[in-house]
Amino acid sequence: MTFALAVTVGALFALGTFLLLRDDLVKVIWGVTLISQAANVYLITLGGVTEGTSNSVPILADHHEPFPVTTDPVVQALVLTAIVISFGMTAFALVLSYRAYQENETMDVTEWDQ
Amino acid sequence: MEPQIWILLGAVGLPFVAAVLTPLLYRVVGERVGYFGVAVAATSFGLILTQVGKEGTVSTSWIPSLDIAVRFHVDGLALLFALLASGIGILIFTYATTYMHGKPDLGRFYMALLAFMGSILGVAFAADLILLFLFWELTSVCSFVLIGYHTDEAESQYSARMAMLITVGGGLCLLLGAILLSIGAATAVDGAFNLSTILENRSTVTETLQSNGLFTPTLLLFAIATAAKSAQVPLYFWLPRAMVAPTPVSAFLHSATMVKVGVYALGRVRPLFHGPEWTLFVASMGIVTMFVGAVLAVLARDIKELLAYSTASHLGLMVAAFGFESHYGAEAGVFHLLNHALFKAALFLVAGIVAHQAGTRHIDELGGLWRELPITAGVTALATLSMAGIPPFAGFYSKEIMFEAAWETAQAGGGLAWFYPITAVVASIFTVLYSLRFLWLFLGDRPDGVGTVSRAPAMLSMPALVLAGGVVVVSVAPDLAIDFIIDDGANAAAVEEVHVHAKLPTHVSGPVAMSAIALFSGIAIFPFYSRLQAGLNRADTLTDRIHPTTLYDKFLSDTVRISRNVRSAVHNGLIRTYVWWVLLTACVLTGLGYATAGLGLPAPAFGETPLTIVLVLGVAVVAAVAISTTETHVTGVLTLGILGFMIAIFYILASGADLALTQLVVETLLLIIFLLVLEEMPAFYSDTDWSRISRDAVLSLVVGTTTTMSVLYTARDESDGLTQTARYYKDHAVEGGGGSNIVNVILTDFRAFDTLGESIVIVIAALSVLVLLTMRDRGETQ
Amino acid sequence: MTTVMTRTTARVVVPIILVVAISLFLQGHSHPGGGFIGGVLTVAAFALIYIAYNLDYLEDGVLGREVEKEESIGEHRTVAAYRRLFMFGLVVLVASTFSGMLLGDPVLSQYHRSIHLPLFGEIELASALVFDVGIFCIVVGGLLTVFSVVGAE
Repeated sequence: MTFALAVTVGALFALGTFLLLRDDLVKVIWGVTLISQAANVYLITLGGVTEGTSNSVPILADHHEPFPVTTDPVVQALVLTAIVISFGMTAFALVLSYRAYQENETMDVTEWDQ
Repeated sequence: MEPQIWILLGAVGLPFVAAVLTPLLYRVVGERVGYFGVAVAATSFGLILTQVGKEGTVSTSWIPSLDIAVRFHVDGLALLFALLASGIGILIFTYATTYMHGKPDLGRFYMALLAFMGSILGVAFAADLILLFLFWELTSVCSFVLIGYHTDEAESQYSARMAMLITVGGGLCLLLGAILLSIGAATAVDGAFNLSTILENRSTVTETLQSNGLFTPTLLLFAIATAAKSAQVPLYFWLPRAMVAPTPVSAFLHSATMVKVGVYALGRVRPLFHGPEWTLFVASMGIVTMFVGAVLAVLARDIKELLAYSTASHLGLMVAAFGFESHYGAEAGVFHLLNHALFKAALFLVAGIVAHQAGTRHIDELGGLWRELPITAGVTALATLSMAGIPPFAGFYSKEIMFEAAWETAQAGGGLAWFYPITAVVASIFTVLYSLRFLWLFLGDRPDGVGTVSRAPAMLSMPALVLAGGVVVVSVAPDLAIDFIIDDGANAAAVEEVHVHAKLPTHVSGPVAMSAIALFSGIAIFPFYSRLQAGLNRADTLTDRIHPTTLYDKFLSDTVRISRNVRSAVHNGLIRTYVWWVLLTACVLTGLGYATAGLGLPAPAFGETPLTIVLVLGVAVVAAVAISTTETHVTGVLTLGILGFMIAIFYILASGADLALTQLVVETLLLIIFLLVLEEMPAFYSDTDWSRISRDAVLSLVVGTTTTMSVLYTARDESDGLTQTARYYKDHAVEGGGGSNIVNVILTDFRAFDTLGESIVIVIAALSVLVLLTMRDRGETQ
Repeated sequence: MTTVMTRTTARVVVPIILVVAISLFLQGHSHPGGGFIGGVLTVAAFALIYIAYNLDYLEDGVLGREVEKEESIGEHRTVAAYRRLFMFGLVVLVASTFSGMLLGDPVLSQYHRSIHLPLFGEIELASALVFDVGIFCIVVGGLLTVFSVVGAE
């Protein structure tokens, strides 16, 4: 399974990088989003991915049952935080680029006044 | 007897507390705040005086986990230095109340002066390497403020910056040296930063350092640090420049305190590094400075410049003395520390009086001042004769002991070691010359064009008179000073038990002959002073190109030029450029890391990959490709949504229920925001430059390959079960957090601090959006 | 987007979303869910109303009040309410962060206790819920403010 994940993460990073290098600011934001998605998947693989079944969520049923085999809960908590932060960042970047467009009247970063 | 920690904390801390209060007081009482400074200095002086005769280390914890503590060590050397700093501090504050009368920015001036005094006292007592470094750099920062007192003058700014760069740079060497020393000490003794334990167990520490090959580097770093601080060749050039400061500052910084910090630190670590390498580096550096400083002092045309070079020369004398292995070295260094502080502070105050009353500091324009300034003339006579080392004045005793140290070293070493006494004698000839020249300001003929000179106010001459009194006491009864503190101080800097003897010579010996040669040659050459000066001046202009100031300026301008070039290459305002540099560097460093670790290529473990996961990930990658090649903004955003939902399904398949929920909702909201904003934005820009696209594709491939490799290297094998951390959270989720959803318990309880940070990010993002959109008309707009 | 279909769907779906959001928020400590998820879902519900109708609908359609025309979007009454919620959340979060210190425990200490209620049975009360309420309010208030401000452009 690691190999499939590695290829996916690599591909997402590569495509994200390509988007970051565009002149169109919207594409740059897409690149950021793509890379943060890929980073989240990477974090999950760091904890070891376990395929889910109907009762393999990291929840202790009735408080004292044996813990189901699952993806590392610490990593899950980390990724949860990361998702939220990247959401906030993307929203801010969008509005920032919108304002930048208003001030500069173009979305092309190379055409901005230095 | 053990010293008391609260007295030391009081003596060191009081000036800092007072410094904080000074600007407030200045608003209330105006420039009379100077008297407040006098009171603070006197209190510190009194507190330190109660510790005389005590010895030992006291501490209170500061950063226990790193074994860094507020440790104060009290012994003769520390007390001598602290008493000089606070005692002369009293006089300087008294002098400044009159001298700085009517000047602007006095609140800041007194604040910096007080903080400076506190830092010096801190350096004197600090017995912890980190604490020493802290106070050391504080003295540099405070002196920057003091030297740059005239904030709107270019020369003042330049000089302050130069002093700051050189001495702070030296301080960084001290930090590095302290860290190396602590590495050596950590294995040898307890308390890696505890200077007094290190000195107590110096043989073990030295052996450890030598076996690690760290001994000479550490020694050199300490030597460079002290050279920068104590204005040794080739780092002496900031000292004469610093004379742009008001005279009380020069008198304080360059007689007893700032420049003595280096000398003092050398005396502190002398027992540790004592040996042939020490003599080679430190004594040579000192003796060269002694000579260069004295020659440049003869060349000087300004009385403060003369005193500045003379200070460098005398610091060289002390450094050289501490550098010699002979026990005379420690004695001479400590004794001259006292003598130099007394006569040099007095002379700086005299220079201030002359400039204040006569309106000029130019040597050629001054002369025969004894009629108008009789008291000052008397002070000058005592101080200059002590400076010249003429018996029976105080300076003679310490210089004579230094000659003995040089003589003994030469006799023991033979051959090239004779360089030390010979250079010392030549330097002393020049010392006699410039001392007499300074005295001649008061005795000689009166040149034309000197305006009316009025008598000096009592508040100006009184501090100088007190210092001259000190010179007289040490001259007439040197044993008084020796018994009081010099002996204890010399023992702190010496390896063996020493006892300082100061008496006039009764029979001819090598060192006595050295003194006699210096004295008589100096007096004999003095009539030809101006011709000598002209000759030296010609030689000096020849060396202009390799003058340290020129090199310093060149270094600065080169640094500026290089950083400009780097900036235009790395920091040109285009996102592309930043992405290129950052990602390429990251990939290269990661690749290098894997290569040096010798991991080999990771084995592609295909294992059993569930078909569902392959499908979901495959769709995600296809969506990502579609985003990169899309033709319109709207399709791009929608495809981005597909990617996000695929990732959410992946989270479900990987048994992360909370993740999937969050991802789904966030993805929906993101889509809405994107669409709302895109409505306002212009249509699409398509890329046409294929060479650029292919270049970008190369970087993308590099990044992709690096991340793929990283995942393969670092992914965890799921068969290992839970990590220790995860197991801990699992075991404690119910009893510790009161919830059975481990992820949520981690987020709100175990690692709530992360969540707090996360909410702050949301808060900042929301506020920024608000500010960007609703407050765009406030403040500056285009 | 303000077609009859969206409006009808919104009328049906929004209450369901809100109920789900609140249940996810409340059960968060022991089942999937939590303050953030609940908050974002609530935002989604309000965003749906906003898209299907408009910003004023909450006031004139739901509460039946007159809508005053404000000069800038920042002073709109609904937006001001969002902002107040946002600030309330911030206060709750900070208070919950430092309340542990009053009892002499480190910052962010959390407590929990099981209590027995008649008819309802055992329930677990955790102070982490207060922390979660703070997050919920920040997310709802902050994001809705952003939405309405961006949407007003």
